[in-house]
Amino acid sequence: MTQTAHDWPTLLCDNARRGGQAPQPWRAPGRARWQTNVEGAVRGSPVLQGELLYVPSLAGFLNAINIRSGRLQWRFKAPAAIHSTPSISSGRVLFGCSDGKVIAIDAVTGTKSWETAAEDEVWTSPVVQNEAVFFGSADGAMYAVQVETGAPKWKKVLGGRIYSTAHVAEKRVYVGCGDGNIYALDALTGHVFWKTATGNGIDCSPALADDTLLIGSQDFFFYALDAGSGAIRWKYEAELGITSAPAISGDLVIFGCKAGTLHALDIRTGKVIWKTRTGQAITAPAVVSGSVIWIQAGITFAINLSDGKVLWRAGLGNSLQSAPVVTNHAVYLAGMEGEVYALE
Amino acid sequence: MDRRAFVKRSCLGGVALLLDHWGTSPAYSQDLIPPAPPIHVNEPAGTAVSSLRMPGLYPGRVVEISDERSIVANRVSQSIVRQMIEQGMRELTGEKDPRLAWSKFIQPQDTVGIKINPSGAPACCSSPEIVREIVAGVQSVGVPARNIFVYDRYAYEMDIGSYQALVPMGVRVTGVQEHKLDVSGYDPNVFCEANFFGEWETRSYMASIVSSGVTKIINVPTMKDHSAAGVTGCLKNLGYGTFNNVERSHRRPFSFTDPLIGIMCSVEPLRSKAVLHIMDGTRIVWHGGPLTQNPDFIFPAGLIMVGTDPVAMDTIELEKIEAKRRNEGVPSVWSRDPKSLTNDGGAFYQDASKNLFYRQPHHIAAAGKLGLGISDRKQIEHHVIHVA
Repeated sequence: MTQTAHDWPTLLCDNARRGGQAPQPWRAPGRARWQTNVEGAVRGSPVLQGELLYVPSLAGFLNAINIRSGRLQWRFKAPAAIHSTPSISSGRVLFGCSDGKVIAIDAVTGTKSWETAAEDEVWTSPVVQNEAVFFGSADGAMYAVQVETGAPKWKKVLGGRIYSTAHVAEKRVYVGCGDGNIYALDALTGHVFWKTATGNGIDCSPALADDTLLIGSQDFFFYALDAGSGAIRWKYEAELGITSAPAISGDLVIFGCKAGTLHALDIRTGKVIWKTRTGQAITAPAVVSGSVIWIQAGITFAINLSDGKVLWRAGLGNSLQSAPVVTNHAVYLAGMEGEVYALE
Repeated sequence: MDRRAFVKRSCLGGVALLLDHWGTSPAYSQDLIPPAPPIHVNEPAGTAVSSLRMPGLYPGRVVEISDERSIVANRVSQSIVRQMIEQGMRELTGEKDPRLAWSKFIQPQDTVGIKINPSGAPACCSSPEIVREIVAGVQSVGVPARNIFVYDRYAYEMDIGSYQALVPMGVRVTGVQEHKLDVSGYDPNVFCEANFFGEWETRSYMASIVSSGVTKIINVPTMKDHSAAGVTGCLKNLGYGTFNNVERSHRRPFSFTDPLIGIMCSVEPLRSKAVLHIMDGTRIVWHGGPLTQNPDFIFPAGLIMVGTDPVAMDTIELEKIEAKRRNEGVPSVWSRDPKSLTNDGGAFYQDASKNLFYRQPHHIAAAGKLGLGISDRKQIEHHVIHVA
C-alpha cells in the first residue's frame, strides 16, 4: 500500500507529530459530506489511509469507514475497549486495548495479523519505526515488538503507569511516565539513557523539534529538554496540568492545558507568543494545518496560528480527547458519543 | 446473594421526612417547592447488614485536619496530605498505628472501591494525591493493588483528572459509563423509582461495581456548593455517584435532591459497603458547584475531614460553605428569594448572587432521619486539628 499525500497514518499524522502541515490555509467547512455513528464512545483519534478512515471505539471496535460514502466498510471486534489511536504501517493497522493486547490487523480486509500482550491496559498509540513497534502500558513497561510478527524485542519496566505515546527518533525512544519522569531509552535494547524528573505524573506525549524534546506534566509545567542529555533547557508554567500532546510548527510549539488555554511558545526560548482561552479543559492534542490550528475541547475550534485568534468554532460531538484528521479535501473528526464527521 | 430475591420498599417524599425541619428553618416559611413524590426502592433481599454500615463505627464524629502547606500555588503536597490523612485516621479511631486504624475498616480479603468525585475536574476534584495516600493505606493492611478500584460514574470526567496515569500501578481505574447514554455498567435489579416531573424513564439503577463488584467503599468527596443540592459532600457523592439517571430529579427551579440523595444512600448494599469517608477540602468551591472552573469561587482551604458518618461530615461542610458565602456577602444556600434565580448558566457561573435552583441543603438532615447519621450540630463531635 503506497502512502498518498492525504494519508494520516498515526497520531498527529506522522512520527514527527507535526500534524499534517498542509500548505494551504483552511477555510471554515461549508458542509458535512457525511455524518455517521460508530458503536461506543470515541476517545482515540481517527487515522486515514487511502479510502479508509479507521476509527477506534470504546465498544471495542476498530471501524473502517469509506471516506467517499461514509459507509462502514468493515469493523474488527477487539477483546476490549480501544482508547488507543491506531497507527498504520506496512499494510497493517495497529492499536492497543484495555485488556493489554496490542493487535495488528490487515488494513484492507480487517483480518487479524498478530497480537501481543502487556500486563495491563494499553491506551497509548503504537509507534512504528525501523521494523519495530513501540508502546507503553499501564503495567509500567515500555515494549518493543517486531512489526511483522509481534514477537518481542525488549521490555523495559519504568517507575509508573504509561499513558504517554512514545516519540521514537532514529535510535531513541522518549516517553513520559506516571512516576513523573521523562525517559530516553535505547530503541534497540530499552536501556535507559537518561531520565529527568518533573513534579507530578505525566500522561502527555512528547514531541521532538531538532534536538529539543517537548512535553507537559501534571505539575503544570511544560518542559523543553536537551534530547541528548535530558537537561532542562527551559520550563514554562501553565495554569493547570498538561495532558495535550504538543504540536510543532516551525519555531512554535502549541499545546493546551486543563485550564482551557491553548499556549504557543517559542521552542528556542520558551517565550509565550500567544495564548488563547477556549473555555473548557483541553486534553486533546492540537493539530496544525497550514495557518490554522484545530483543537477539540468539548467543541471544535479553529485558531489562527499566527496570533491565536479564534477563527470559528462548532459544536461537533463534544469531543475531549480525539484529534481531527486534516487533509486537502476534508476534515475528519470523531466525537465522544461515537459521531464521525467528514467536513468539507 | 440470591440475585433473584429482591424486596421493595417505599419511601414517602420530602414532606413527611422533613416536617421537623420545615418547622425550625425560617428559610422554609415561604418555600415554593412542591412535595416529593413517593420513591420506591428495589434492593436485594437478605443482604448481610454490615456493622460498619453508615453511620459506621463513629456516628457523629468528624475529624478535621487543616494544614495550609497542603496546597500551595494550586498544587497539592503529597507529603503533607500523607501526614494529614495519617493523623486523621489516628484521631478518628484512637489507634496510634495508622495500619491498625485502616484495619478497622478494611481486611486483606476485601475488594475496595475508592469513590472519587471527578465532576468539576480539573479545577476542583478529588485530588490524585489524596487518592494515592488512600491506596497506600488500603495496601498497608494487605489488600493487593489489583483488588483496589478507583471509580466514578463518568469515565470521561476521570480522564480529565488524569487518574489513570497518577495512581499506583496495578490499581484499576474504572468509569461506570463511557458516555452519557451508556447504561451497561448498571444493575437492572437494584433501583430507585419515582416520577418527579413526568419523565419517561422513572428508574435510577445502581452501578454494578457497587452492587456486586466491591466489598468496601471509601468515599472521597470534595467540598462544594451545589446549585441544586445546596452542597455536595459525602451523601451527594455516594448517592448521585452510584445511581444513574439522576439529572431528572432537577427541573429549574426545583430539585428533589431532598429526599432522593438520602434515600439512595440508604439502599443496600451501598449503605453497608460505604465504611469510611475522607473529604478533600484542600480546595473548597463556595459558588458555582459542582462544575465551576471559575477560580474566583474556589479557595485553597487546605483541610481534610475524616469520618464514618456522612451526615455529620456534610453538616460541617455546609457550615463552612455557608460561612464563606456569608463572608463574601452572597445569599445563603438556604435562600428562597426568587430574585436570585436565573436561567442563564453564564450568569450563574459569574455571579455568586445567582442560582439555577432553590437549593436543597436540607437533604442532609433528611438523610439523618433515615438513620444515616447525625445532623444535630450539638451532638456532633467535631475534632479540629490545625497543623499549620
